[in-house]
Amino acid sequence: MTRHAIPLLLLLASAAFAAAGVGGQKSNGDDRGVLRAIAEAPVATREWVNPYEGQADAVAAGKKLYLRHCAECHGRDARGSGRAVNLRSPGVQNAAPGELVWFLRSGNLWRGMPSWSGMPVERRWQIVTYLKTLR
Amino acid sequence: MALFPRPASAQETPYFVTYSHRLEEPGNLELEFSSTYAAQRGGNDFVAPWLEIEYGATGWWTTEIYIDSQHTLGDGALFTGWRWENRFRPLMREHWINPVLYVEYEDVNGADKTMIEVVGFDGEADHAVRNAVASREHLHEIEAKLILSSDFKGWNISENFIAEKNLAHAPWEFGYAVAASRPLRLAATARPCNFCRENIVAGVEMYGGLGTTDSATLSGTSHYLAPMVAWQMPRGVTLRVSPGWGLTHPSHRFLLRWGVTYEISGFGGKVRKLFR
Repeated sequence: MTRHAIPLLLLLASAAFAAAGVGGQKSNGDDRGVLRAIAEAPVATREWVNPYEGQADAVAAGKKLYLRHCAECHGRDARGSGRAVNLRSPGVQNAAPGELVWFLRSGNLWRGMPSWSGMPVERRWQIVTYLKTLR
Repeated sequence: MALFPRPASAQETPYFVTYSHRLEEPGNLELEFSSTYAAQRGGNDFVAPWLEIEYGATGWWTTEIYIDSQHTLGDGALFTGWRWENRFRPLMREHWINPVLYVEYEDVNGADKTMIEVVGFDGEADHAVRNAVASREHLHEIEAKLILSSDFKGWNISENFIAEKNLAHAPWEFGYAVAASRPLRLAATARPCNFCRENIVAGVEMYGGLGTTDSATLSGTSHYLAPMVAWQMPRGVTLRVSPGWGLTHPSHRFLLRWGVTYEISGFGGKVRKLFR
């Protein structure tokens, strides 16, 4: 019985810790960590040219991707909710498109922002193209 | 329904055996029902279904429970045990090669046939034993993996190095899994679509045993090559299918795996609200 009890106790402790872990995230009133992470993008990313800039199809595709992958945390209106930052805020809107594409790839795991490296860079550009229309 | 507010759509790789560095998004819960069919020489073919419950505890930690079962034709069906795994990303940023540390505890019996990993000298002959006999053996095992994974130009390339130990005085067993996958279309289209190339990911994986600490050799080990395809459907559902072929004599000749995944966004937050 003991050999089963130990892993089960570990399991229960893990589940409790896991549930509490997400609750430890800061609210969207504190964007500094994420904004600081965006600012840590390599300088060269500021020069990256958005291949989709000004393309209506890319905006539509970016909106579709945003609603599918991002809205669950950042809200359908992108104003942030709970632990997710307001994507209409000056800190995000004033960032260079290349910095945002870099940040989407890199994420900020410590603060709960996943890395979206599994999303092809073309789609990340499309999302950024859409986000830039929210200014 | 309060617990299941919003289906989510995550970044899925189509692999069944190989892990990439993509973890569950924090607070999301993923339910997956998968199954392995295997053609068996010297015994009856079998189907081994398993249920996965995966939770993104943080951005760098995913925890997961497996519940295993199997049905061998002409020999009945049984529950074969459970596993608890944890994956940790030690580096908080994306790199060219991204390591993930994997630790798992398994409490299964000898009739387990899910073949979620292949290590040591695992082979087809292990699965020819009748359930009544095989299920008498209880296995308490720990398993560690070093997962290395990269995303480049739409491709994911992942390599896993596996070490597994039966806690009852058995040597360490080793194995590997490598895989590559890519969406059929990199950019998204402007219009909503379901069955279109941007929602389909194709790939291939290869996995097998590498012997034990007592006998580190490829001789007598099983190896498999398995192409696969995943279809990311609307509302957080992903379907996957993968035929696989054994490459060496101890391997099963043919495997067929399939699975359906459903991802629930914000599950952790809803659970916490219940206790406030």
